[in-house]
Amino acid sequence: MVNYGGDEVSALVVDIGSSSVRAGYAGDDTPKAVIPSSYGYFNNPPGGDVSMENGNSGEPKSAYSQIFIGQNGPSTWRAGMEIGNPLQDGLIHDFDSARSLVEHALGDVMRVNASEHPILVTEPPWNTPANRERMAEIMFEEMKAPAFYIANTGVLNAFAAGKGSALVIDIGQSMASVTPVVDGFVLRKGLATSSIPRLVHSHAHHFLSNPTQTRHAIDLYPHQLIANRLPVDPGAPPRFTLREDRLAGVTQSWKAWYEAREVDEWIQSVGGVLEQGWNDQVAASRPPRQYEFPTGYNNYFGHDRFAVCEQYFFQKPHFVQSNATAPKTIPSLILEAFRTCDPELRQVLMGNVVLTGGGSLLNGFSERLASELSRSFSHVKIHAPGNPTERRYGGWLGGSILASLGTFHQLWISREEWQEHGTAIVGQRCYWRPVIRQLLARVKHGCSYERQKHQLQGYQDNEWVTRTMVMKG
Amino acid sequence: MAASASDIRSALSIASQPQNPAQTPAQSKKLQAQSSRKPDGISRELYSLIGPSAPSLAAQLAKPKLKQKPNLGSRSVVKWEWRSFTNGARKDKLQLRHWTKAATDVNADYPFAKYNVQSTPYIYTDEEYTQYLQDPEWTKEETDFLFNVVREFDTRWYVIYDRYDFQGGPARSMEVSVVLFKLDTYDQSTLSPQDLKDRYYSACRKLIRNRPWSGDEASKSSLLASFHFDKEREITRKKYVASLENRTPDQVAEEEALYIEVKRLEQSERKFKKDREDLLRVLSGVESGLPDVLEDESPFNNLPIIDTKKKRKGPSSGFLPTDVDSPTSASNVIALDPPIVRKPRDPKSIAYDAQHCIIRTDLPPNVQATKAAHHPAFMRSFKLPYPKAALAPRINQIFAELGINNTRLVMPTRDNCARLEGLMEHISALVESKKILDKLEYDIQVAKKRLGIRNSEDREGGGGGGKGKGVGIGSAMDVDDGDADADAEAEEESVRDGRAQSIVSTKSARSRRPTRRSMSISSVDTNATASARASNKRKFRN
Repeated sequence: MVNYGGDEVSALVVDIGSSSVRAGYAGDDTPKAVIPSSYGYFNNPPGGDVSMENGNSGEPKSAYSQIFIGQNGPSTWRAGMEIGNPLQDGLIHDFDSARSLVEHALGDVMRVNASEHPILVTEPPWNTPANRERMAEIMFEEMKAPAFYIANTGVLNAFAAGKGSALVIDIGQSMASVTPVVDGFVLRKGLATSSIPRLVHSHAHHFLSNPTQTRHAIDLYPHQLIANRLPVDPGAPPRFTLREDRLAGVTQSWKAWYEAREVDEWIQSVGGVLEQGWNDQVAASRPPRQYEFPTGYNNYFGHDRFAVCEQYFFQKPHFVQSNATAPKTIPSLILEAFRTCDPELRQVLMGNVVLTGGGSLLNGFSERLASELSRSFSHVKIHAPGNPTERRYGGWLGGSILASLGTFHQLWISREEWQEHGTAIVGQRCYWRPVIRQLLARVKHGCSYERQKHQLQGYQDNEWVTRTMVMKG
Repeated sequence: MAASASDIRSALSIASQPQNPAQTPAQSKKLQAQSSRKPDGISRELYSLIGPSAPSLAAQLAKPKLKQKPNLGSRSVVKWEWRSFTNGARKDKLQLRHWTKAATDVNADYPFAKYNVQSTPYIYTDEEYTQYLQDPEWTKEETDFLFNVVREFDTRWYVIYDRYDFQGGPARSMEVSVVLFKLDTYDQSTLSPQDLKDRYYSACRKLIRNRPWSGDEASKSSLLASFHFDKEREITRKKYVASLENRTPDQVAEEEALYIEVKRLEQSERKFKKDREDLLRVLSGVESGLPDVLEDESPFNNLPIIDTKKKRKGPSSGFLPTDVDSPTSASNVIALDPPIVRKPRDPKSIAYDAQHCIIRTDLPPNVQATKAAHHPAFMRSFKLPYPKAALAPRINQIFAELGINNTRLVMPTRDNCARLEGLMEHISALVESKKILDKLEYDIQVAKKRLGIRNSEDREGGGGGGKGKGVGIGSAMDVDDGDADADAEAEEESVRDGRAQSIVSTKSARSRRPTRRSMSISSVDTNATASARASNKRKFRN
């Protein structure tokens, strides 16, 4: 036990992201609870007939009369239900609903009592001190946690890759960030963020919902609103009937939510980037992929599935000129991060690039990144876990490793300290001294320990099995 | 069975068990079991036949046992406990709980607390500051702040630059990029992150120097050295690193091309040297004593490598120790090593060898004593020389004329073998020179004939052309003919003519008798080397 440096104190790890909230036990390799960050709510109490139609009722003291969280939260149609998301640009701006999400994940999904476990929460590298203190307040005052710590996702992603120093490239749902991490510290001056994933998303939305030369505009109705449909040939207009009874109860925010979900699914299914940079001929030569929308409309997408995602790496100069506030592409983010780094440090960072975040699972993304980087730097080494779970929940995994290390337990902010020092201790402990020296030496051991466990447990995981089989064969 | 067993015992005159009729059969059985237990590997029947005096071999007949099964069940179960603990590295009394072996001491220190190592920071008093650490560019507050930050981040300077934000002082921890990217505009007066390092280390050095030191001077100076920081040098170094990174692709390509060019030059240099040494070796023969050609990695460490290798090689290859460091053996000088000096042997041992007919053979000095170079013991008669295949018939013929059987010596002593070898050599030399002679004679003859034809042509004008041509054709045809059935004819002729003709023709070198058949043997070219090889062979053999 001591050999691995692990000492599990049944800590909980909570990672709040734009698309989902991940929660689980420290020392595990995957989060136990993954719930969408979006939630449904009613502003005005409707008639008694709809109330308590499922068990996920919110806190009575919430600003909303009713809140629907989790698996059956936003994705269930309810007349007049609005959709909210507590995160904006990766930062929590609505702490009430964020607390509800965490309570749901811990209490309803994991079935644990938060007051019995130390809790480690993650924060994006660009988090504000006020946000950090507010989170500590919630954990201590409302969740009654005995101990609390807030750790940076940049650092945690580096830890999940078993590295103390790394250049973490995190592609989330709403934000992409490039974070230089040195010895477990984020270099704030090198931090570069942009909302490029949202730009790609809106491009895809625009592309799908507008007619092109070869097809009509695509209806992005979700399956909840479709009564029946008939199979049609690729490219043919869809034949489906809508549930007219539900259409009236669809709110603007729910419409936005389901359209965004359809677009996201389209990107995730067919989207991709060309490994060697944009080339019309190569894009045309790639096999088109078929995708079917809930309406039954289906078509082959060839050139466009690459053109949309190319925004991650390249934007047309006239577009950048006309939009001064256009989000930066990934290469320019990396350059920006590097500009502030010491040249000696750059070589270290280039040898330890960690690619993480669900957005990076796009087809050919890591290959493209490698080719982009090797064009301007020699000796580039990219660490991109092939396991999608590891890539999507990298921050959580790093937190799980961190909170299960024996040397980490001196860093918890205890309830006693909280009562004595108040909010000041959060910044002092978590920001000034996030991770201390001796801890770093242990992280690598902890990581290998994590990997071993991963391999033991992972055989139940289909993806893992296919991956190992591919590797063997 | 019991009866037969006792019978055999008596037959083998082995003392049988005293049969006591008073004992009950059970008791006797028990006694027997106690006295001798059947060893493993002998069948019960056999054991009852031969009794306890089993041959010791039987012990080895025991059939191999399988690997013992792991004993999983009976191991004592370790008890674990969900126990609360306090961490000694914490200042508060936070109680966390973890699983631990129940046997461990409840009051034991937390095992991970020992990793909480704190670096010893330098702290100065106000008095010390005013006395030693005054600096026009730094206020006391900022110095305090700097020391705090350095302590917080355990002198991780990259992080310190990042987090250093002292309010009210000059902008010290400004953009690194200013320093790194605008090298041309870089100004010494601009404050840079190096200032932080410089200030911290110089302050520490001053403190160490001026404080009373309990240890010895050496440890103090080593501590001072560990706090050494040269700001100018560091800036220059960073500039170099930055300029290395700011190279354009063209520059990088050019650099690479230059590098390859240098490598190529080096290689050709090495090749030239190798060729030169090879040439020297050929010129001065196998035993020139030149060292093996060394593959130098680079021209810079050329000499030392040779020296070390020579030193290692020296004793084993029979160099005298004084030769190793002789100046003439330096690789740049075209010089041969002095000839190998054999160690003079002890006269006493020479006498002893002579008395007992012991002949010592030494390995040639430049052959390494490897397995391949080793000659096993052999019969001398096996190593008798054979004539060259092309010349074999003639040589055998001469041997027959001399009345010597060259394939089998009656008494193959060392001397006899040497003589036979010498004889063989002489005979082959004789045959070869005869052959050359014959060829020359024929050439002269042909040339004379041509001259005669031309003269007659000149004399007769165009009239004698036809005849001359005819002769020319005829001679050419002769030669062709001779080539065609060269070997067969040569053998026939040599057998027919016998020794007399050949001897006569070689001894009387002036004889002009045209012999077409000796002409026909045209393989004369390799003969020059053959004799040399033979002599080499002899050298190796003794």
